[in-house]
Amino acid sequence: MAMLDIEGLHVAVGGKEIIRGLDLAVEAGEVHAIMGPNGSGKSTLAHVLAGREDYEVTAGRVRFLGQDLLELEPEERAALGLFLAMQYPVEIPGVSNTYFLRQAVNALRKARGEPEMKPAEFMKRLREAARQVGIREELLRRDLNAGFSGGEKKRNEILQLAMLEPKLAILDETDSGLDIDALKAVAAAVNALRTPERAFLLITHYQRLLNFIVPDRVHVMVDGRIVRSGGKDLALELEERGYEPFLQEAA
Amino acid sequence: MAAPRYRTPPSELVRLGERLLPRLPGDALAEVRQRAWRRFLAAGIPTPRVEDWKYSRIDALMAQPFAAPTATAPAAGTVRRAMAGGPAARRLVFANGRLVAGQSHVGGLPDGMRVMGLAEAIQHRPQEVAAAFEALPAPGPFSDLNTALAADGAWIELNPGVRPEVSLQLVFVAVGEPSAVITHPRVVVRLGAGARLHLLESHVAEGEGHVLTNLVAQLQLAEEAALVHERLQAAEGGHALVGRTVVELSAGARLLANVATLGGAFVRNELEVHLRGEGGEALMNGLYLPRGREQVDTLVRVHHHAGRCHSDQFYKGVVDEQARAAFAGRITVHEGAQDTDAYQQNRNLLLSDEAEVDAKPELEIFADEVRCSHGATVGGLEEAGLFYLRTRGLGRAQAEALLTYAFAGEVVARFRDGKLARQVRQGILARVPGGAALDPEGLVA
Ligand SMILES: Nc1ncnc2c1ncn2[C@@H]1O[C@H](COP(=O)(O)OP(=O)(O)OP(=O)(O)O)[C@@H](O)[C@H]1O
Ligand SMILES: [Mg+2]
Repeated sequence: MAMLDIEGLHVAVGGKEIIRGLDLAVEAGEVHAIMGPNGSGKSTLAHVLAGREDYEVTAGRVRFLGQDLLELEPEERAALGLFLAMQYPVEIPGVSNTYFLRQAVNALRKARGEPEMKPAEFMKRLREAARQVGIREELLRRDLNAGFSGGEKKRNEILQLAMLEPKLAILDETDSGLDIDALKAVAAAVNALRTPERAFLLITHYQRLLNFIVPDRVHVMVDGRIVRSGGKDLALELEERGYEPFLQEAA
Repeated sequence: MAAPRYRTPPSELVRLGERLLPRLPGDALAEVRQRAWRRFLAAGIPTPRVEDWKYSRIDALMAQPFAAPTATAPAAGTVRRAMAGGPAARRLVFANGRLVAGQSHVGGLPDGMRVMGLAEAIQHRPQEVAAAFEALPAPGPFSDLNTALAADGAWIELNPGVRPEVSLQLVFVAVGEPSAVITHPRVVVRLGAGARLHLLESHVAEGEGHVLTNLVAQLQLAEEAALVHERLQAAEGGHALVGRTVVELSAGARLLANVATLGGAFVRNELEVHLRGEGGEALMNGLYLPRGREQVDTLVRVHHHAGRCHSDQFYKGVVDEQARAAFAGRITVHEGAQDTDAYQQNRNLLLSDEAEVDAKPELEIFADEVRCSHGATVGGLEEAGLFYLRTRGLGRAQAEALLTYAFAGEVVARFRDGKLARQVRQGILARVPGGAALDPEGLVA
């Protein structure tokens, strides 16, 4: 059975149906990309998977690692191995980046019945991961995302990804707003995390990211549905022709 | 007939005052005290019909059968736990308003700096004390009560240019006694031109009881003087504090006034700042975290009398259970005070449906070149932040506790004394729901 299995999903936000019958299956070890025009519901899908309470699932089911994902609290989903790198990471003034990460790492370990990570071991891993994604030490001491530049926030999401070691990572436009060096660093970090047990769902507008992180499958999302799926070449086709042909199909 | 704006003072309080008044030292003060006492009797106790007391419920507090305090000294451990200001800090310790010489230490101060108990000042320089008492602007009932009955407190003088390296801490211990007691400490600080002082003021409790501390502090800053005044109110239980601080700043003088209210049945922090010379600066930060049935009032009055001054008020509150908090902040830019910068922010986190916050920002502007802003908010925790933390594995309770702590922590970041800030942070952790379960390592610096 697929690691993530979405069947006939419908989601309403503020009384308006945004996801309208979506099917998607992601196997362990795979990288899937979702592309689609602004407002097609990509971030809504990502947030629903992560457990946002104000998004109403009106129909369909989602199984993740054999469990009914929609039954779980956001923190239970995280403990099970789901991670969402947000399109707009939230600023949390008053909580240092390092403190937050230590609490997150230990909360996940506790939920899985593992002992807390020793502080020295945590700091060692944190420094390593920070170097890999190109985060300055100073940013580790600063308050979580507070006053971070757009690119720093995105890198910080990848830092969390590296530290939390999820089974399925959803990256919602992590590439937007990154300069080319940052994009390469993020891609390298993601590629280093690719294992046969771990899957990725990349939401992006740009083919460029997919040159660095080569996907197994590419899906086109229009108006709350997947209207076409294909191999990595589909992204090239989109780059060339835009979404116009798919918009007509959907209409 | 309309309800009265002031209530006749409770007879217990009046009898106590009449008994104490003739026995207070300092003939030179007798006149000033008598006048204040008569004003107090004539005015009475303010009711919520008085604008500045609109949200305060003090009838029960004032109707307690007060006796004169008899406590002599707190336990050494109480004072030790309250210590702040670094290992070399000088300290005056008070037990229910009375100076405890044995636990105080103000030796070895630099030349030109004098620190003594108010009782001693009354003995040695009664005229000056009388003049200082008389100089208190716009006294209200509580200030008058203090002026009439103040028997002890602190008298602090720094000659021009004196800048002690050590901090000075005033520790007020509310010692539980069999009956309710009311005390009236008076603090007078005078900084000469260019002098500098870091003054810490800690209020702590020892034992159960009902001690009402009616404190008046007069802080005078000559040209270019700088004062950091940090108050921690941590006397929990049935104790209460009515504190009025009046600051006068001459040209180029600077004030940083921080206050954290962590406990007390009723606490009122009144801060009145007069920027009387050009180029003065007053930065004011406050935090209050009432819970249970506690009440905290914050009343800030900033007067820009002269031009080119800067004032900034930043007050935050976390209000839980059936607690009440009121914030009334007024900026007055008087005529001719051109090129004024005056800011005010009041942010409140309401954690329970039964809790109450009343925020009343006010601006009065009589000059035209002025940059002013003010804002007040009352709300709950941000859903976006909670969701973000939970997607990283933090449980709801932990995420809520952490965000609440962080909300309050923003004020503590502005405290100057490391030890006091640490005490405040520990107090926040002990107070916010779920705070005790948070990992303090990395939170309490
Ligand atoms: N609270 C809300 N009430 C009504 N509509 C909403 C609400 N939140 C989101 N939407 C709408 O849902 C639609 C999908 O939004 P979503 O953020 O999922 O799009 P997206 O595909 O991620 O777009 P982008 O590429 O711009 O990031 C949009 O039309 C948006 O305006
Ligand atoms: Mg989006």
